[in-house]
This record gives sequence, structure tokens and C-alpha cells, in this order.
Amino acid sequence: MRRGAGLQGGSSGVVVDGRTDGPNLAVELCGIPLRTPLIPASGTLSKEALGEVEGIYGAMLPKTTTPVARAGNPPPRVAETPAGMVNSIGLQNPGVERFLQDLDAFDIGVPILVSVAGDTVADFGALCERLAEDDRFSAVELNLSCPNVECGGLAFCAGPASVEEVVASCRSAVSGKPILAKLTNEGVVENARAAEGAGADGLTIMNTIPALTVDARARKVLVRGGLSGPAVKPVALRAVYDVSSVVGVPVVGSGGVVSGTDVAEFMLAGATAVQVGTASFVRDPREILDEFAAYLQEVGLGASELTGALRDIRPTMTGGRADDILTR
Amino acid sequence: MKFYTVQVEERRELGSYTLLRYRWNDGSVEPGQFVMARAAGYPVTLDPFLARPFSFYDYDGEMASLLFEVRGRGTELLDLASTIEVTAPLGKGFAIEPDLGRAALLGGGIGVAPLKVLGRRLDALGVPYDVFLGFADAGFAVVAQEFAGAQVATMDGSVGTHGTVLDAAATLEDYRAIYSCGPNPMLAAVKLAAGESSICQLSVEERMGCGNGSCNGCVVPVRGGGYVRSCVEGPVFRAEVLAW
Repeated sequence: MRRGAGLQGGSSGVVVDGRTDGPNLAVELCGIPLRTPLIPASGTLSKEALGEVEGIYGAMLPKTTTPVARAGNPPPRVAETPAGMVNSIGLQNPGVERFLQDLDAFDIGVPILVSVAGDTVADFGALCERLAEDDRFSAVELNLSCPNVECGGLAFCAGPASVEEVVASCRSAVSGKPILAKLTNEGVVENARAAEGAGADGLTIMNTIPALTVDARARKVLVRGGLSGPAVKPVALRAVYDVSSVVGVPVVGSGGVVSGTDVAEFMLAGATAVQVGTASFVRDPREILDEFAAYLQEVGLGASELTGALRDIRPTMTGGRADDILTR
Repeated sequence: MKFYTVQVEERRELGSYTLLRYRWNDGSVEPGQFVMARAAGYPVTLDPFLARPFSFYDYDGEMASLLFEVRGRGTELLDLASTIEVTAPLGKGFAIEPDLGRAALLGGGIGVAPLKVLGRRLDALGVPYDVFLGFADAGFAVVAQEFAGAQVATMDGSVGTHGTVLDAAATLEDYRAIYSCGPNPMLAAVKLAAGESSICQLSVEERMGCGNGSCNGCVVPVRGGGYVRSCVEGPVFRAEVLAW
């Protein structure tokens, strides 16, 4: 790869905010300027690990907060699977008041997005009202798809009606700040339409996929939780691709991103920004950003030009029209 | 998480365990701290996907060593690798109590690992200590030769006392400083056996995802309710903190 002047120096070797002749990594998400399209997936970056991430992410996204503290699920909570892991953390968090006390720790000079979850629609609404008073964050992500809690969680993605109800409730509670609905893969297109219709400004696609690991020797369930990691990437890509072709709001891709090429694939499939989660446990995410910058340099595009920029005709269930095929 | 690529400088079989040594000049290692490690080759090797946590077995200021048992694909590959990837030292190690007289060090199985580097530190501080080690059988007990004067117990009775590490120790009540690492049920037994006035520190074993506090996967229950992460708040805890 040719290394331009703009790629020299600096810890990650990339240029942000469109300066000089290096690749332009900046994107805009729901009106929020991001200096890179990478966002840590909620629940995958602790404040203890923030020292290592300067310059990598375009926005910060701490672990989901709930109205009151949650102890989380009993261990074992994680199990490795081929090219991934299953977790069942159960939204362990200190509750929204403590969360807001600690929020400054997540201020690393980029916009902060806040992930919220509740057991009920009323919980979501109340949480959003509480957050609406705080001006330290730029947007809210509604976690409508946690597979590891007894109440709420995935149930909010049971169908368009429940998605619509909870998004509408949050929409009226938080005026003036974008809200993103984080959806599960199951039924994602209908749920995405419902979220958009209820006023969501963006969508995060997707959460972990419900999964199970079994210890055959002990004859026990090891972890019943959600699968993440590269194993889920094709599923997430398909969901991002299908959703972004039917909604007008921006989509944040999430699921199995471990490389700069993965970031590019999600953006080409329609994502405006991309979340890095489990990968940050096994790699320095700076390498992912560097690889992505190298990709942009190679193709001669800026990050924001990548969204939906696939060259081929979108394949359809009917095989496409004859004139589409002839133009290939 | 940042990983550093290092060469394996030495590999030694110690009975059923493998000892790996690599050069580490990038900051100090506290006894009880751990690293996430794997065979080099990421991102080609998506299976296994996660790195594995290992307590430091020893560190002399230049060479670090890890002790492990081959138990699955991750450790199988680690056992074969000439180049490995490791994180910087992680977690909170043992808080050395130099003024509490003779200390007891108790290790069970692979949990003997951090006691080696802990012993080195106690030696440097001139703190006297006794070592008690428990193993399943003679194959695992081979590593005991690395601990001069250690009292050994095996579950099958093939070496030393027949029974657990606590059978080798007879009583812990005379010790005011106790340091232990092993399977969690063993640690719970050590906690029970420790004298009431002792400072008892336990290094827990938990499945880990990330190693840097991000995933909340490796938690242990604490007294008063709730869970804390063994990778950041631990892996060494004061016994009275744990809800075992």
C-alpha cells in the first residue's frame, strides 16, 4: 500500500476530520459528526480499558443502563464457540443515577451515546425522561434486544407493535436528541420499519443472536445467552443490507466485525457507522481502524462515500428484471 | 485489547504441565497478576477465538513464564507455538503482607502457578513461608519439585499425603498471612480453614472473555450481594469479600 504523507506519524497512522490527503474517515450519524465510523458496541468497553482507545472511535457508547442497579446473571456467563462467544451477562450495571455520576469517565473527546434498557415501556420512557435533562450525551440507543434478561429484552422485538410502542414512548420523552433503536435479527425488516415510523432517527442492527452452549461431559447447560463474534457476521450483514434498503434513517451495523474489511463490508451493505464489540477482546481495535483506512486509501474513497456504495444490482427474490441483468 | 507478539524462549514439560518462557521488558509483574495469551496467528485463527487467561508463574525482571495444562484447542496450539501473543500484565495481584510473620502459600492443581512468583517476592522481602500443594495425581505433582520444601498431597495418594492440599497443611490457624490459588471449591475450603485473625487472599479461577473489565463475563459473587469482575477487581480477593 502506498503510504501518503497524511498516513505518517500519529499512533494510529490515520487522518481524521478530512484534513490533508489521507483517507477521510469522518461520517455523520443522525446529524452527529463522527471522526471515524467506529463505535464500541454497548457492553464491550469498560472505563478501565479507555486508556487504550484514544483516536479510534467516532463516538463512545457505554454499557446499557437501566432504571435501577442490576446484579446480572450468575456465572458462568461466557463460553467460547467457533469464531465467537456466547454471553449471558444479564445487563449488570449500577443503575442510571450512578451511571450519570460516572459518565464523565467516558468523555474522551468524542460524542457519547447512551444505551438504555428497561423491563417495560414505562421504564424506557422514564429513563429517557431522566436522561433528557443531561446534556453530556448526544444520542440514545434503545436496547430492545438483550437476549439475557427475564423481563423486556428481546420481547420488545417480538413484533412491530411493541417496537412502535416503546420507540414512540421514548421519542416523546427525548426531544431534540436522536434516538437509535437496537434491534435483533429476527423480524428485523418489519421491526425496523416500525421503529422508523415511530420516530427513531436511526437503527442499530443487530444484537447478539440467542444461542446455547452445552457441556456434554457434565451434561449441563454451560451458557444460554447471545452469540457474538465473527460467526454472526454474515447474518448481521444480511440484516443491515435488507433494512437499509427499506428505511430512510441511518443504520449502524453491528455483528462480528473483526477487521477493517469487515467495517467496509458493513458500510457497503448500507451502514453509516459500525460497532466493534467482541473483537475488541481479541484485538487492538486500532488495528481495525488502520486496516479500514488502508482500504479507503486503496479504493480512493472517503468513509462517508462508502455507505450503500455496492457496485452490483441488489439481488431480489424474483431474480431481478431482464434489463437489470443486461446492464451488469 | 492490545496484544504483543513474543517468541517462546523456552518450553519445558513439567509432568502434565507445560512451562513457557518469554521475554517481557514492558513494565513490572506483580505476583498474582495474569495475562491473556494465545498462539500467534490472529486473525487467521478465529477458532479458538478468545485468548486464555494465565497467572504469571514466574518473572525475574526479564523473563516471564506461564504454566498451563493442555485442556483444549487454545492450550493445544499454545503448546505447539514458537511465537505467542500476550497482553500486558492484568488484574490485581496479591497484596504482600510483610509484617505478619510466617506465611502459608496453598496451591491446587494449575493454581500453584502464581505461588512461584509470589515466593520469589517473599524471598526478596525476607518473609518466611511454607508451601502446600495439592494435585490430582503424580503426573501433575511433578511441578512440586520447583517449590523447595513444599508439602504435597495428591487425591489418589500417589505422592505425598493422600487427600487435598488442606490435608497436607494440617492446620492453618497459626498463619496470619495466607495466600492461595486453585479451583474455587478449594479456595472456599481454605477460607473456612483460615484463622479468624488471618489475612487470607484468594486468587480465583473464572472463565474470561476479555480480561480488561469490558465484558463482565468473569464475575464472582461478593458478600452483600452482586458480582465483581475477577479480571479487574481480582483475580486476587480478600477471602472475606467473597460470598462463598
